[in-house]
Amino acid sequence: MSHEILMLLRFGAIAGVFFVLFKFGPKTGAQGRVAKVIMAIAAVAAIACVPSLASTSAGALPLGTVVLCSVYALFALGLNIVVGFAGLLDLGYVAFFLFGAYTAAFLMSDFGYQVSARQGSSKHQFSFDIHFFTAALDTIKGVHISFWLVIIAAALVAAFAGLLIGAPTLRLKSDYLALVTLGFGEILPEVFRNSDNVYGFNLTNGTKGIGPVDQISMGYLHNLPKLPIVGKIPQTITSADNHTKFYVIVAICAVFVYASLKLRDGRLGRAWMAIREDELAASLMGVPLMRTKLWSYAVGAVAGGVGGAFYATIVGTVNVDSFTFAFSIIVLCAVILGGMGNVWGAIAGGVVITWFDYTGLTFLGGKVNQGLGTHINLKDYEFGLFGLVLVVMMLFRPQGLIPATRSKQVKRADMKTANDGDEDLIGFGSDPRVVEEDRLGYGMEVGVDHE
Amino acid sequence: MSDLLLDARKVRVEFGGLVAVNDVDFQIPRGSIVALIGPNGAGKTTFFNVLTGLYSPTRGGVMFDDKNVVGVAPHKIAASGLARTFQNIRLFGAMTAAENVMVAMHPHLKSGVASTIFRTPKQRHEERDARSVAKELLEFVGIGGTDEEFAKNLPYGDQRRLEVARALALRPKLLLLDEPTAGMNPQESATFTSFVHKVRDERGVTVLLIEHDMKVVMGVSERITVLEYGSKIAEGTPQEIRTDQRVIEAYLGKTGTEAAGG
Amino acid sequence: MAPYGATPTCTSGKVHMADAGISAPQTQDAAIGQTGPAEFGAPRKYTTESILGIVVLGLAVAWIIWSFVSGPTLFLQVLTIGLSNGALYALIALGYTMVYGIIELINFAHGDLFMLGSVMGAIFLEQWVGELKSSAVAWLWLALTILFAMASCALINVVIERLAYRRLRNAPKLAPLITAVGMSFILQNIGIKLNGSAPHSRSSVLPKTSFAIGSVDVRIKYVVVVAITVPLLLLMTWIVQKTRVGKAMRATAQDRDASLLMGINVDRVISYTFALGGALAGAAGVLFVQVNEQTRYDAGFRLGLIAFTAAVLGGVGNLLGAVVGGVLIGVIQSLNDGAPHFFGQKWTQTVMFSILIVMVIFRPGGIFGAHQQEKV
Repeated sequence: MSHEILMLLRFGAIAGVFFVLFKFGPKTGAQGRVAKVIMAIAAVAAIACVPSLASTSAGALPLGTVVLCSVYALFALGLNIVVGFAGLLDLGYVAFFLFGAYTAAFLMSDFGYQVSARQGSSKHQFSFDIHFFTAALDTIKGVHISFWLVIIAAALVAAFAGLLIGAPTLRLKSDYLALVTLGFGEILPEVFRNSDNVYGFNLTNGTKGIGPVDQISMGYLHNLPKLPIVGKIPQTITSADNHTKFYVIVAICAVFVYASLKLRDGRLGRAWMAIREDELAASLMGVPLMRTKLWSYAVGAVAGGVGGAFYATIVGTVNVDSFTFAFSIIVLCAVILGGMGNVWGAIAGGVVITWFDYTGLTFLGGKVNQGLGTHINLKDYEFGLFGLVLVVMMLFRPQGLIPATRSKQVKRADMKTANDGDEDLIGFGSDPRVVEEDRLGYGMEVGVDHE
Repeated sequence: MSDLLLDARKVRVEFGGLVAVNDVDFQIPRGSIVALIGPNGAGKTTFFNVLTGLYSPTRGGVMFDDKNVVGVAPHKIAASGLARTFQNIRLFGAMTAAENVMVAMHPHLKSGVASTIFRTPKQRHEERDARSVAKELLEFVGIGGTDEEFAKNLPYGDQRRLEVARALALRPKLLLLDEPTAGMNPQESATFTSFVHKVRDERGVTVLLIEHDMKVVMGVSERITVLEYGSKIAEGTPQEIRTDQRVIEAYLGKTGTEAAGG
Repeated sequence: MAPYGATPTCTSGKVHMADAGISAPQTQDAAIGQTGPAEFGAPRKYTTESILGIVVLGLAVAWIIWSFVSGPTLFLQVLTIGLSNGALYALIALGYTMVYGIIELINFAHGDLFMLGSVMGAIFLEQWVGELKSSAVAWLWLALTILFAMASCALINVVIERLAYRRLRNAPKLAPLITAVGMSFILQNIGIKLNGSAPHSRSSVLPKTSFAIGSVDVRIKYVVVVAITVPLLLLMTWIVQKTRVGKAMRATAQDRDASLLMGINVDRVISYTFALGGALAGAAGVLFVQVNEQTRYDAGFRLGLIAFTAAVLGGVGNLLGAVVGGVLIGVIQSLNDGAPHFFGQKWTQTVMFSILIVMVIFRPGGIFGAHQQEKV
């Protein structure tokens, strides 16, 4: 007991330092720089504490769930770029997850060897037997490439898929875009499910799925001396070793957070936001709409692909049934719950939603039933609860639980200018003309030429 | 390089059966300030939309800076030096004034995804420069110090100015102002005239404006073109336009007071 | 059907911002930089896209003929299934199309409303009334079940609009869409609670017999579905065309502000639209159970999307289009699933959603073209 309290205290103290500095600490100058360094150290220390905290949480926070939470945080970070930054509703984010996972499955399993073995026809004997910086033993045939190279491959494949899906669809209106992405998200699993016999070739192993996927090899990191809290890094992450998995996924997330923040504040981020705010004005200010939107898709897809590859190594078998519309919705829920456009919100949303999904509902349900003597299985209400999150957030708190700084500050401006523009007098959205034109089905003349 | 910055020939725009712009010839000499006027619904904004690439004309051609712009994507036309403001302000509300201006520098900035993520010295340099140019432009239009204000939070007049600053960030050769004094009080309108001259003289930008306030039009423009029902009915110096019989008729029918005032 | 080559109304004034989501759908083909100066003058008749469309259409027709020649009996048999399914799709598609026409919202939850209709109808008929076999009394009860499902679905749809969508009518477009997705999940959860997470087999009170036309067996149940759907569609047309409220609906779809100024109670008209759409979905739900003899909580998602595809095929916002699109999609699906030389059931979704994607990208106005006078 005292050990648990000690753990909690340690974590609390570190987190406290972080938040105090974050909220009240100096922001600029030399002091600000020192504060930043302290905050970074505190963040690292707090994260390093999480596994030991999880082990003392009495089932409320199993480390396996923590790892999944982090994976979904990564997905949410990716979708946040598309939905939050660029304002494009993507209901088929599962596509990138799928591509990432299958990339890992192809490059980190014995499937490359199975392809031909299952054929039986000597005409089509293709077998791949490639080993490259991998944890897999030489005796296991197939393609086995280092995880660290595979996530790069997964990122590239997903980004490419993003371009392919985006190129024809990104010129569509937002609601049509949502549907078409959803359509792609539904088609792809079916294609992978049915591609176990393409002119005699088994390309995806159909519903049986591909596995086992290799474990992650830590390579040279193994040679590091024993680290405080983290401990010694193993050569290969075994399937039960959630500790190391957690550190790996957090490191990947950190890279993405950094990239997201930098992109947001740079040239591309401004263009994304401009498109979100007013597409037409953006293009007339020289922002190439198509290319800018495609970039958001590609960058968002990279997170999905990398997350998918990592996910494949955790679950061990890539099965086509994991790639459902519900996944896209869970990630969307995470982004919306956290606050569209806010990087930290996306992470928080991803963690919270995933915790509820994998542990929270069962755990809380158990507690409730224990307390009240009821027999409610909260897990049965999972779908409805996710739906409720979307509806309630949209109705009552569209800016999310952790709104982006800008939406907080512009909020009051909404009130102030509501009566300024002639547009809102009638009670239409931001631009009544746009709606009007679409209905009439002419070009744009009715709208813009209101002189 | 021809003397004409913009040369539109026989531009015609039809919507269904409606002729919004009827075979209009329109030229803008480099370095001039010209105005396009006409009663409501005369097709002025439609004509603007043709120039900026939002519409393809049914017939006719538009040369801007000796290059064809018909059928060219709006962002490419913008990048080639044709900037505009909007009749109903279209700023990026949830972005700061400086960011609004920096968006329009997009075509002139080089940094891509990789250099942004890795924060190469070049990218940081470029960002710093862009920010200082934005600051400078905000000062130029008279709203210095509002860099960190969100566009939506700015007062109406400042929003109009910000739109001009944003357009200037494109480093335009031609600046289209769509009813720039709409909603301004008489004092602001008066200072606007000198502001347009300042834009032309200090930045070397040719200016085309659509304007209803005849005082402003007559005071600022060197040449005026009058549209009515999509057709060009007159063209000339302010003096000529003021005395043109057709123009007076066109205006007296609808907004005679304005014509008389001018 | 309008030929692919014709560009019905948009002869000119093309908007380059088709990709900006601000233009009318039919201006899609004016995508960045296609119109060169050489093309001034005559309106374009044959674009690459329209030629491609004709080629694709021609191939499809040839494929269908090939299929028919290979096995005429099977082909026609499958066609009867397709027509019956198509009638159901038409009923659901109408709900999508009417709502989109009036508030420009893709009502994601509509398919799940259909599912609820099927589940509630089945529970009503089987568990409450207890009719399991075909008989005259059972048919009467079936008629009552349809009315019950129509009424409850109409009510649910109105409540959803009142609670969720109405408050977001002036919000950015993403907000109501995301809300609709959320609603869809909530309804699915209700479906799970009522029906269980596994498919639930139900009994049909329609005759299991069939009659022959030539060598083709026609199942009675398919005829019944069509026989019930057609009057419903006629009733619907009458309501929209002739009644006061129907006129108000059309006016609101045309121009909400002007309708408001003309003294039309727009809120009520929108509620009414949701009620009508919901009622049709409820009827479709009951008929679906009678034909397929099972209910499942996820039926709404898949079938709803297919019905939406039907709406897109006919031109979203176009009532007649929704019916034609529904029948077409029903026929295409059944041919794909059953007729010779098609892809078979395991590719159904791919075929359906490919149609959706291709339509939305290349012909977002539907097969009739974008400009339709008759919109609700």
